[in-house]
Formats: sequence, structure tokens, C-alpha cells
Amino acid sequence: MTRPLADHATANRAGSPTAISVRNLRVGYGARVLLEDASFDVHRGEIVVLLGGSGSGKSSLMKNLIGLYKPLAGDILIDGVSLVSTTAEEKTRLQRTLGVMYQSGALFGSLNVLENVRFPLDRFTDLPLPERNLVARMLLAAVELAHAEALMPGELSGGMLKRAGIARAMALGCDILLLDEPSAGLDPITAANLDRTILTLRKKFGVTFVVVTHELQSIFAIADRAIMLDGRSHSIIGNDKPVALRDHSPDPRVRQFFNRQPDGARQ
Amino acid sequence: MDGSRPIAASESVRVVLEGRITAHTAAPIWQSAIAVLEHNPQRPVVVDASRLEYVDNVGLALLFDLARRERSPGAKVQFQALTPDLASLVSRYDPRAFDTAAPSRRHLGMLEQVGRAATRELAYLRELTTFLGECIHALRRVFTQRGLVSWRDVLDVATETGANAVPIVLLTGFLMGVIIAFEVGLVARQFGAVIFVVNGVGLAMLRELGALMTAIVLAGRTGAAFAAQLGTQKVNEELNAISTFGLDPIEFLVLPRLIAAVLVVPLLAVLADCVGLFGGALVMSSFEISPLQFCTQLLGAVTAGDFALGIIKAAVYGLTIAAVGCHRGLETGAGATAVGLSATRAVVTSIVLVVVIDGLFAVFTG
Repeated sequence: MTRPLADHATANRAGSPTAISVRNLRVGYGARVLLEDASFDVHRGEIVVLLGGSGSGKSSLMKNLIGLYKPLAGDILIDGVSLVSTTAEEKTRLQRTLGVMYQSGALFGSLNVLENVRFPLDRFTDLPLPERNLVARMLLAAVELAHAEALMPGELSGGMLKRAGIARAMALGCDILLLDEPSAGLDPITAANLDRTILTLRKKFGVTFVVVTHELQSIFAIADRAIMLDGRSHSIIGNDKPVALRDHSPDPRVRQFFNRQPDGARQ
Repeated sequence: MDGSRPIAASESVRVVLEGRITAHTAAPIWQSAIAVLEHNPQRPVVVDASRLEYVDNVGLALLFDLARRERSPGAKVQFQALTPDLASLVSRYDPRAFDTAAPSRRHLGMLEQVGRAATRELAYLRELTTFLGECIHALRRVFTQRGLVSWRDVLDVATETGANAVPIVLLTGFLMGVIIAFEVGLVARQFGAVIFVVNGVGLAMLRELGALMTAIVLAGRTGAAFAAQLGTQKVNEELNAISTFGLDPIEFLVLPRLIAAVLVVPLLAVLADCVGLFGGALVMSSFEISPLQFCTQLLGAVTAGDFALGIIKAAVYGLTIAAVGCHRGLETGAGATAVGLSATRAVVTSIVLVVVIDGLFAVFTG
């Protein structure tokens, strides 16, 4: 009885088929509202891209999804458990099931690259040091940073920081990975490799991805679904397959975004 | 049940991997699998993955670790019923790339540490001298070229460094006066020489402590701030931006701070002197020396030269603290840790230098 592992992976994940469920969310800071009444679901094993112009609240939405900020209203369910109205311990447990890569990598400056990637393993597993080192180095090899393991974060370029950040986010084999602009500032080859890594992780490990990005090529390469935010109307103006949004979206702003047209050139 | 168990066979040994192997469950499975391999160096090992439900990247590392082990020719590790997906993932990694041990941090012996620290400090002194030379050179240009230094910046720094430091300088100065008067007064009373305590307090405050205490407060407050500000600017590449605009970071960032510190620290030292003498007078009144007696005795004991020496020292301390702070800031490495390190070093170096300079003053003016 050997079923393909990917099926196992998706089927065996605990809980509901919906990884993240966002209900009537209002995102913002005090009186400044960035997103109003947003609702969407992210299913297990799905790669969802959050996109939108600068200042449309993508990163803020993501910080709400990972529980760094409390939404102004509405609810966020991770595996069917509310992140907003739960106890502090439960929230911490939920947060540990999320792997997050921050825009600038957010590596710890006092640890070298290998130690950074090993950090979650050091803290949350009982593995002996040689095994932890092996896991961390395989992760680094997967993001093509094997040669940089002994460097300090201060010595890395922007793209290397991001890749190391992704390796660290993946270290505990998290169910859900959230990546904030993973391919911005990367060269096309590295960006394409990163896309491939994301697809592999989804295929082999059934990982669910929420990716904030502007890179159209990357969106078309990886995304099952794109959710587009609009800064002016503070709402979600598109939620479909990227190709469908590009070709058939009723909203001209969405078509403009996907066809990469300047203002004033809308069809 | 998750885990691995060896099943003895006539020739080969079996390791059965089953269930879910994840970051949180892998440790015991990994250890027992490795133990089986190590206990049977001469027998082939079959890893049975037919009941494996799920692996994450830690489980993958476990499979890879079993596959990469060097074994004698007749005792290879073979996988059974490993899904093609997983097999391709495992074979994607090159065992040779993971052969080298992970670099560990080398711990230095005490002697080596002392040696390294001494060389580092000597090299630093040389750098600092060069830097001071550059600053003085730039300072000379300030008087010949108009508009080289923004006097508005100087005023801003002076306000932050000087005006905002007044309360803490007053407090430390006052307490210094009180403490010296009290400690020396207790001893002097036994010899009936209480009146001479005034001489001690006056000389100590004006020549030494007014300037020294101000300098130490300023080293902690301003030196650290200068290093952190310039360090952050360096980390954020602001210094590079300034250089590419054709501006000199020394003229643009360092000179305003140096000028402000040199002007402000003597003023603060005067405040510390006054409030220290006032504290001394307060304590002396409890030793039955009236304020009038205190003043008369004080005027007979100290000279304008003592006062001037304190002020000159304060100006030199101000220059030292600002220069060290700025220099430590400019030589900041990369990252947030480097900024913290620069701030700490700025405080330590400036306090050490202030004490050394004080010693030199004592030798040459004693």
C-alpha cells in the first residue's frame, strides 16, 4: 500500500482542509485603516500570492496573519483555531506552526548563517548537534547558500539574507510558510530557483504558502491563486487564478497590474 | 506507532521507518537507526520505508544521513519501498558536500586574549591619532572657509549634549561635593582641622572632580549616543550617500559634534564646580563652618589658575569623548550588533582615555 507521499502529506496534515481563514478582517493602525472587511481562505497545499501596489497593506495583512499585530476587527483562523480570540499559550503554539520569512531576512546579527538556520532546531527539537547541523546545512544547500554557512548576517547581500531567512523559516518543517517579498532584489536565476524550491516544497511536503510579492513572472510561475489588495478602496479587488485575473478580471485596476501598464493606459 | 526497529535477519539487518518523521519526532528514530548501522558495520542494512507516512525536512535529513554513511562494500545501506519523490529528493544532495565538520567557534586562551586586546588597543590609539589629525585639519578649514560647518547642527548637538545633560551633571556634581566634604570632614574633626576641609573640597572640585565627573557622565551619555548615531548611519549606508554627494563625513557629521562638545563640556564643568562647592558648604555647616567662613577660606585656598585648569581639562575631555564617539561610530561594522558594540567601545575607550589624560595633566601641572 504505497500512496504517493504528496497525497499523504496533504491528507495527513492535522485539522481542517483550510489552513488559514480570514473573516471580515479590518487591518490598520489606530484610525488609519488599510484594509476593510477582507475575507478569504487559504487551503492546504495551496500557494496563494498577496499582491497590490505599494502601501496597499500587504505586509500589514501578513503581520496580522502571523499574529504580530491584532486586527482592528474580524477574525483569523489558523487550522480552524482563532488567532485573535485565543489564549496567549495557544497563540504561541499556533505561531510556531507558521514559518515566516521577513522582508529583510531578519537574521539574528550575533549568530552566523548556519547558527541562524539551526536556531529553531536548537530551541524546539531534541536532535543532537551533528544531526541539527546536517538538517541546517541541507536547508542551506536547498537555497544555494552552502558556501556561506560560516558568514555573519552583516556580511551577506540582500538576496542571500532573504534566502537564509527562508531556510530558517523552513527549519521546523512548518505546515504553513509565509514569505514577505522573497524574490525582490534577487537576480532572475536565483529568483527562478527560489520559485522552484517553493513548488518542490509544496509538492513533496504539502506545505501551504502565502507569498507577498510584486514579481509578475514569479506570480505566474508559482501561484494557484492571487489575492489583490487595493490601497485606495481598502478592499480585495481580485481573488482568482493569476491568468484569469490578467485576462478576465472585471476590475480594470487588476488587469492594469497584471499587464504592467502605467496609469492612464487602462483599457 | 512512529519509529524505527531493527529486525535481525540471517544476513542483512532491517531498519523499519514508519509513521510520521518530523522535526518533533525525529530525534529517537534517528538515534536508533544510527545505532543499528553502527552495531552492524559488516552487514548490509535494508531501510524499509513502506510504512513511512510523512517526512518533513528533518525526516529527509535522516534518510539522507542513512544513505550517505560510508560502509564497507558488502555492507551497504539499501532503501526499500522509498517513494520515487523522496528518492529523488534524497539523491539531490551530494554526500561529499556535507563531509566537512561544521565550523565551531574557537575559544581563545587567556594569554592570547590579553595579547590580542593589547595589539588591538595600540592599533586603535594610532588610528585615533590619525583621526584626530584629520579632525584638526578640518577644524582649521572651518575658520578659512565659510559655510563648511552648519552652525545649526552645532547648536542642535550642543542642546542635546549640554542643556539636556544639566540635571544629571548637577546631581553628580552636588553629590561629589557632599561626599568629599563629609568623608574628609569626619577624619579632619579628629585632628581639629575641620576648616582645612574647605581647601580640600575647593581644590578637588575645581582642579579635578568637576571636570572628571562631567566627563564620565558625558562619556556614558554623549559618547555612546555619537557612536550609535554614526554607527546606524553607517549601517544604513547614509555615510556612503554623504560621500557620493562629494561631502566629507568628517566635516558633515564629526565637526559639529566636536565643536559642540568642546564648547559645552567646560560650561557643564563650571556648573558641576559651583554645585559641588555648594554641596560642600552645606555639609560643612553641619561641622559648624558657616557659609561665610567657607567662602573666605575657599578664596584663600584656590586660585584662578586652579579654576582655569579644570576648565581646560574639561575642554580636552570634551574633545576626546566626541572624537572617540564619532570615530567608533564611523568604524562600525555591519549589522545591529556592530552598532551596540561601537557604543560600548566608545564609552569604555573614552573613560579610559579621560583618566589617562587626567593623569598626564596631574604629572605636568602638579
